[in-house]
Amino acid sequence: MSILINEDTQVIIQGITGKQGRSHAEKMLKYNVKVVGGVSPGKAGQNVLGIPVFDTVAEAKKYTRVDATMILVPPAGALMASLEAFASKIPFVVVITEFIPFHDALLIRRMGLKENICVLGPNTIGAISPGKSKIGVMPGFIYSQGNVGIISRSGTLTHEIASNMTYRGLGQSTCVCIGGDMCRNLNFIDVLKMFREDDETESVVMIGEIGGAGEEIAARYIRETGYPKKIVAFIAGSRAPEGKKMGHAGAIISNGIGTAESKLKTLEDAGVIIARKMDDIMNILL
Amino acid sequence: MNLYEFEGKSLFRKTGIPTPDGIIVKSREEALSSVNVLSFPVVVKSQVLRGGRGKAGGIKFADSREELSSCVDELFAMDMGGEQVTTILIENKLSIDSEFYAGITFDPVESTPLLIISSQGGIDIEQVSKSTPEKLIKLHLDPGDPPQFFDLMNLVLKTGITGKKMVQISKVLVNLVACYYKFDAITAEINPLIIDTDGNAIAADAKFEIDDSSLFRLKEVKTFYRGQENIEDPLEIKAQEAGVSYVRLGNGNIGLIAGGAGVGMATMDMVFEYGGEPANFLDLGGSVTPKKTADALKIVLSTPGVDGVFINVFGGINDCAEMAQGIADVIDELNPGQQITVKMRGHSQDKGWEILEAKNIPLIKYGTTEDGVKLLLDEMEKKGVKSRVNTH
Repeated sequence: MSILINEDTQVIIQGITGKQGRSHAEKMLKYNVKVVGGVSPGKAGQNVLGIPVFDTVAEAKKYTRVDATMILVPPAGALMASLEAFASKIPFVVVITEFIPFHDALLIRRMGLKENICVLGPNTIGAISPGKSKIGVMPGFIYSQGNVGIISRSGTLTHEIASNMTYRGLGQSTCVCIGGDMCRNLNFIDVLKMFREDDETESVVMIGEIGGAGEEIAARYIRETGYPKKIVAFIAGSRAPEGKKMGHAGAIISNGIGTAESKLKTLEDAGVIIARKMDDIMNILL
Repeated sequence: MNLYEFEGKSLFRKTGIPTPDGIIVKSREEALSSVNVLSFPVVVKSQVLRGGRGKAGGIKFADSREELSSCVDELFAMDMGGEQVTTILIENKLSIDSEFYAGITFDPVESTPLLIISSQGGIDIEQVSKSTPEKLIKLHLDPGDPPQFFDLMNLVLKTGITGKKMVQISKVLVNLVACYYKFDAITAEINPLIIDTDGNAIAADAKFEIDDSSLFRLKEVKTFYRGQENIEDPLEIKAQEAGVSYVRLGNGNIGLIAGGAGVGMATMDMVFEYGGEPANFLDLGGSVTPKKTADALKIVLSTPGVDGVFINVFGGINDCAEMAQGIADVIDELNPGQQITVKMRGHSQDKGWEILEAKNIPLIKYGTTEDGVKLLLDEMEKKGVKSRVNTH
């Protein structure tokens, strides 16, 4: 069994009638994902590529079992879409949307924790268990099935590292992009715990970047619990200037906190194998 | 978006936090007429966004018209680490009884806002949190359930402050929390919070970072929006117009365009690793069209000193064919002399590759970022351009 999603996962897309929603619904169908419905207020009765559209998440849930939802709505609507999914107790909520207002992201986190719902994102490409299912916007064909789990803050670095692995015969169990914002939900530590129990995952790649404390929290967990699987870590931004926001809202070094150097040292002290250069990840795994 | 002190103070007043009486001036003449409204002694404060203003001499005191005139002249002539002083805030000088600290920031460990107070005002909060963290009293805020007045009184009591002062400070804290949420702040800080000799609590300074993604719903803050007036680099203005995230880096000659912040940073790191020196960081972001790609490439090509450009992109949320078209359009339009190499894969990769190959652009299809960086540096050297400046 892979973590978070598998071939039986039934997914809905909130925002399916938008340009992005439609385009990614099509790509998910091509990847044989069980997209069982879409949500778009006022558009019930329509369909997108044969996928039925509902007014609300609750309506979609009346129609069929919903294991997960992918939220692909504009930033101003992402909080409401998330709260709607929580209210319908959808067990796994993937918030793809970037540029969600910071305080909305804080509320999404608070309500997700309160309702005990597994939330991925915001500002994520989603999660993929290659060959089985994907909830997200990643091109499925550059990923391949195997035994390496990937946890990453960056969407395109997930593509980069997974595709490099794919071309060299290293497949992935599940790739989870935890998102590039300051306030995220699933973090390194949560996904590490899932990979720990997952039979299909033999080793884990952690792709961090400057800013925040997720890598440091994970390092403490790895050290204190004697993590039983091999972990390789890479941190992007070792040469980034201080005080500049490097594309992601959460990727900023402020007052010397959140540097790549300190993250690498903490992880190394916890027994994690450090890839100084991105390509070293593969050399270490091969 | 960081706010100037006078902007921050206007948000404080809107949420019931008292600030000193003051006037904003942009010239010596305006400053001298301000004394009709204010009374000496006054504080003369340069309005700049960078920290450490006091230490840099950006705050002065004046007891007379003559002193005020020379203070204002000095401040307008100042260059605070590259930031020109164009606005000065003149305030009545407070008669200070005691100074405190109050600030709200984001705690990345708990992923919630954190209220920090201290019985010592005017402190360097980062310094104190390292040297004497016991002097900081902290309360994690629940975004859906703000603390009550009594919670905040209990918090202030922990600092050892009692009596009327404790009540006054707690009232300010209630409003500070409200202000933080109302204006979508990432950080909101009062340093120092003054108790004057009449026992009133007054915010003597204001430091705000407002969330950029929330500006669409912040009518009051939007009026502060300075668009491009504070950006000195014309290329950063173009980048903002094009909707890409662009950071100039030193004097390197390697231009970079990346799809995604993580790939952008990792590519930058890799260029350094191979002895090259990046001229910039550029993240294309989402919703990429041929035009957006072309705009980005033009910005990088016109970055001073750029001899070669490495474009490292994915068709994930974006489409390879559209990005390739943008690159091809720039080649057709400008026929740039600089070396361009591309690594591209993902949605519509075959079409994208075909467009680039038709323009004879060296292309990495299945290789890594490392391969891409090496390819660019090698191609530049073949042309006789020095690409590896840092030999380890």
